[in-house]
Amino acid sequence: METLIANLSTGFGAVLALEPLTILGMSFNLPMNLAYCFIGAVIGTLIGVLPGLGPVATIAMLLPATYALPPLGVLIMLSGIYYGAHYGGSTTAIIVNLPGETSSVVTCIDGYQMARRGRAGVALSTAAIGSFVAGCAGTLLLAAFAVPLAEVAFKFGPAEYFSLMVLGLIGAVVLASGSLIKAIAMIVLGLLGGIIGTDVNTGVSRYAFDIPELADGIGFVAVAMGVFGFAEVMTNLEQKEHREVFTNKVTSMFPSKDDFKRMFAPIVRGTILGSVLGILPGGGAALASFGAYSLEKKVSKNSAEFGKGAIEGVAGPESANNAAAQTSFIPLLTLGIPPNAVMALMVGAMTIHNIQPGPQVMTSNPQLFWGLIASMWIGNLMLVILNLPLIGMWVQLLKVPYRMLYPAILMFCCIGVFSVNNNSFDVLITVLFGVLGIMFIKFASEPAPLLLGFILGPMMEENLRRAMLLSRGDPTVFFTRPLSLTMLIMAAALLAIIALPQIAKRREETFVEE
Amino acid sequence: MKKTKLIKHLVMVTLGLLALGAGGTAYAQYPSKPLRLVVTFPPGGAPDILARIISEKSQLGQSIVVDNKPGAGGNIGAENVAKSPADGYTLVMGTVGTHSINGALYSKMPYDMVKDFAPVTLLASTPNLLVVWPGLPVKNVQELIAYGRANPGKLSFGSPGVGTSIHVSGELMKSMTGIEMTHVPYKGRQFAIPDLLGGQIQLMFDNMPSALPLAKEGKLRALGQTGAKRSPSAPDIPTVAEQGLPGFEATSWFALFAPAGTPKDIIAKINADSVRLFKQPDVAEKLKILGLDPVLSTPEELAKYQQEEIAKWAKVVKASGARAD
Repeated sequence: METLIANLSTGFGAVLALEPLTILGMSFNLPMNLAYCFIGAVIGTLIGVLPGLGPVATIAMLLPATYALPPLGVLIMLSGIYYGAHYGGSTTAIIVNLPGETSSVVTCIDGYQMARRGRAGVALSTAAIGSFVAGCAGTLLLAAFAVPLAEVAFKFGPAEYFSLMVLGLIGAVVLASGSLIKAIAMIVLGLLGGIIGTDVNTGVSRYAFDIPELADGIGFVAVAMGVFGFAEVMTNLEQKEHREVFTNKVTSMFPSKDDFKRMFAPIVRGTILGSVLGILPGGGAALASFGAYSLEKKVSKNSAEFGKGAIEGVAGPESANNAAAQTSFIPLLTLGIPPNAVMALMVGAMTIHNIQPGPQVMTSNPQLFWGLIASMWIGNLMLVILNLPLIGMWVQLLKVPYRMLYPAILMFCCIGVFSVNNNSFDVLITVLFGVLGIMFIKFASEPAPLLLGFILGPMMEENLRRAMLLSRGDPTVFFTRPLSLTMLIMAAALLAIIALPQIAKRREETFVEE
Repeated sequence: MKKTKLIKHLVMVTLGLLALGAGGTAYAQYPSKPLRLVVTFPPGGAPDILARIISEKSQLGQSIVVDNKPGAGGNIGAENVAKSPADGYTLVMGTVGTHSINGALYSKMPYDMVKDFAPVTLLASTPNLLVVWPGLPVKNVQELIAYGRANPGKLSFGSPGVGTSIHVSGELMKSMTGIEMTHVPYKGRQFAIPDLLGGQIQLMFDNMPSALPLAKEGKLRALGQTGAKRSPSAPDIPTVAEQGLPGFEATSWFALFAPAGTPKDIIAKINADSVRLFKQPDVAEKLKILGLDPVLSTPEELAKYQQEEIAKWAKVVKASGARAD
């Protein structure tokens, strides 16, 4: 405990340290690291808000510009961009139904519905508050238990990942508020789409038709921008005169006492779930917000309201994704293993600054290590201070006439998709998924389960086959490893909970017919 | 620095205009516009950082724009350059993958690794480091081979994908020793390392720069490096070849290539520029941190080296049965 406090004070000392800066011949002592943190948070929020333009492309573009800055400043700024983007991503999800990040897909479900009912401000505040609480908890966990938690993550082998994905996929059925059959169909479609590309295990190309751009599969951003962004804009164009206007009925910006009561438990549950999943470097973080949504929908008293603008459906996932964003730094900081593309770029930034990422960073550069952790807490605080007043402005965005807003959305989507690989082929893929998205809307099928299937499918297959490779073909490995078995039992229980009411209903129907 | 560049630009533009005005037969001085250097991997990795060093330090007199075109093991970016005009304004950061292993791995290559490119210069190379899970009771390569013989079916080695130099290093070891090891591919080394640290897989021929810190901290045990000679970054670790496997060599290398048909004098100019800047002490220091050993060459030396590498990997890949499409 004492060492933790000493370490944190080292960290805060490093972040708040004054550095001389000369402007117009005059010398000032300024807390430059605090400034980098602020710049990172602002840039992150902005790119998060712009659909499609994600932190990966932004950091990649900024990387060369960071050569001149000190290493701690660079890392503080880059991580600010990372969690700032997570934060900003929920804004577009809520306001225009556009998820910029994997994590904000589920925020679309209830966040956008809240906006349609004139509660955009409340939804945005809920996201901000939930993210802040989760961010603080995640940072504290990171500071106190980074090393032991990293060790725990190693217990998670391919068999465990597979069972976790099974649990996640069954949970995905809960995502849909409409027909169960359609939800399952969408998941399966997502699974199939996820298979496109080079098979990791054999190197065999599947459904790529000799197109090199398909060799690595279809990118998540392209699919999400297509089925959400493009499809949304196109279907809105159909309605000639009375397009949806929900700005006029904006009631209040801030949550009421009742709202606070309803968001409390989901925030706590989301934070815990997100923190745990974020530690797993093999894709746990992607599950965080989906898992939290499914969990809330199952345990909430107001489960009937889910899909129609339930505040729990925003609070839980938003907390989970921000908590996961913080704890996903654990493998990077303790071992130098980047669990996602953004952190791979941060590893690049470290090497550019002559710091070799690895377990020794904590001891050889304690100022850097603890300074970065301290900056995360400060950054989260800055985000709340920055974003709560901005909510009013974001809501005003809804008043921008469609003829201006929609072309802008389409343009930003295209830029964002292009910037992922600097490849125009991805933009064509987005258009294709836009067309599919319109069909989904016509058939009243929800895209969220599709996206989850799309993300989880390849990971599940990869881990299933890897586990079988390692067990030399023995399938009992999934049942003999305790962690894996536990998750499979949970999956079976969840399946029963979902299936039983449906079966009961079916029987009722047959009885009525008789 | 910036200012001098600006002045240089102004001077050049003015001179150019004067020349045009004087006779209209101005001799086009290379380079007269920015160059594009394609990196076939995402930003942040070794090829990207090498490209950015070139872009930052080049004295060709024009800016060099780094263009990341990742995908398909580097083939997308390399294809893009193969089909670009051979005017000296497009270059690619070629790797052991895009310019030697992939040819054996992909049955349908979108470009010809030799005919479509003009070699410029080798830049740097790095050996892989054979690291094992510390719970494995072996301390050197001979013990590993003995363990493999005594426990068939017990060893699994990880890699960041089929056909990577990390994968084929393992295949090379299998073919040279005859021990049985199961190849377990991952989507990137960052996903393989946790499984190695947790003992799910037992060994990996990881990239030297990223594996070295983990070995130094005792999280993994380094058995040997895969270069022909010991790398200056890790002079204490013996090579695999030293430990009873003469001829065992697997290095990742990075080299500049231009589209085939690029004029010889332009190639010579770029070669001289790169060679000069990679000899600067601050660049050498950066490479050391990255775990890269600078290896410079003439275009002809690169062409010869590439041929040797193509022949070597074709054999290993064929023996392993690996393919990527």
